[in-house]
Amino acid sequence: MTQDTPSEHGLGLDDDLMAYVDGTLSPERMAQVEARLARDPEARAATASWRHHNNLIRQMAQTADDLPTDMRIAALERELAAKLQARKRRAFLMGPALGRIAASVLLFTAGWGAHGLFSASTTMTGAAYPQFVSATMAGHYAMRQISMQQAEFQADEIDTALDWISAQMQRKIDSPELRRLGYEVESARLLSTDDGPLAIFYFRNEEGNSVTVSVTPHAPDQPDYAYRVVRLETESMAYWTESGLDYSVIGDVDVGQITTLAAAVRN
Amino acid sequence: MSLKTEVTSHTKSLRRYALVLTRDPAAADDLVQETLLKAIDKADTWQPGTNLRPWLFRIMHNTHVSDLRRAKTRTDAAPDLPEPVVQDHQHTQLELKQVLQALDQLPEAQRKPIILIALREMSYAEAARTLDVPLGTFMSRLGRGREALRRIVSGIASGKLAVLSRKESL
Repeated sequence: MTQDTPSEHGLGLDDDLMAYVDGTLSPERMAQVEARLARDPEARAATASWRHHNNLIRQMAQTADDLPTDMRIAALERELAAKLQARKRRAFLMGPALGRIAASVLLFTAGWGAHGLFSASTTMTGAAYPQFVSATMAGHYAMRQISMQQAEFQADEIDTALDWISAQMQRKIDSPELRRLGYEVESARLLSTDDGPLAIFYFRNEEGNSVTVSVTPHAPDQPDYAYRVVRLETESMAYWTESGLDYSVIGDVDVGQITTLAAAVRN
Repeated sequence: MSLKTEVTSHTKSLRRYALVLTRDPAAADDLVQETLLKAIDKADTWQPGTNLRPWLFRIMHNTHVSDLRRAKTRTDAAPDLPEPVVQDHQHTQLELKQVLQALDQLPEAQRKPIILIALREMSYAEAARTLDVPLGTFMSRLGRGREALRRIVSGIASGKLAVLSRKESL
């Protein structure tokens, strides 16, 4: 091990020189550093050495590509990929975004009877539990969501609801417009979740079909959710991220109808 | 890219990194196997949507650190290290030998940033996450390490030249 004085490391602490060697500078900055290197032989020698050492280490590392295939490693790769795939699936089903969407499903199905509630819960968790377990779980989630409820508004209070929801989310929130598709808003709720406020709008058409739309600010540390349509057991669902908000549309309709409804919300 | 393809690509990178760390193909494959086994055990700690590569390299880093601890010290193990697996021009082989010898003299905290960045497999930020240090600390260790490496290689090279000159003058 070596003991070095700070002055000996001056060049090594120069971020521009480091980035130059590693090829991470913009073309403009690269030209500036090259001009500097033309005038500074010490920096030129240092960067040439660093780059040469990098190349030697990389060349040695790349000889690993010529090593014979290790069957044990190949088997472990497959096992790891399968585990990660399962992890990805679980995270999708149980993650905060879908958890909130699941809450929407539960809240909206709760108004249409226990069967809808239980079937939605079973589908969302993707697990083959006995029905009484699924029912208990659904009840548990429903109770938890009710405890998160900040406010509930009826159809004639939607304007007030939008003002309140906009204030809570600190941005202008408009009511999803589904009237031209035959759906009238019935009520709206605002939930307070661990990830922030979640606004839920309930719609119904003359045939009695119900649709739930939720809007919530997108968590800044999460990637945007690409638009996706999912067929559940008795419902369909679409969700996506747009302009910093996460949206979900869930209804007891087929995939084609949910796509039309989601398009209306997006517009 | 499917997860299987992604894992295969990262394993290839892990094998490269392991070969530089261990200098021995069999030991490198052992380290990769141990890393994959731990990754399988820890699969539930991976956050889908985040980059898999730093996560896997981090597991390898921790595995290697544990292996080194078990082997007591790297200094004790160094004399047993086999010759580098490089079939190239003799001069390049000599230079590589000098660089690897110099790398062995660096503290672990400086050696790994140099290797990780030399592989060109990840950004500074990803490499810092791999080693579980703040970016500023990582950059400082990388820079200090590179300068120390340069000085040691230069010392080794001039020492060899002096030996050659003495031999020639005899």
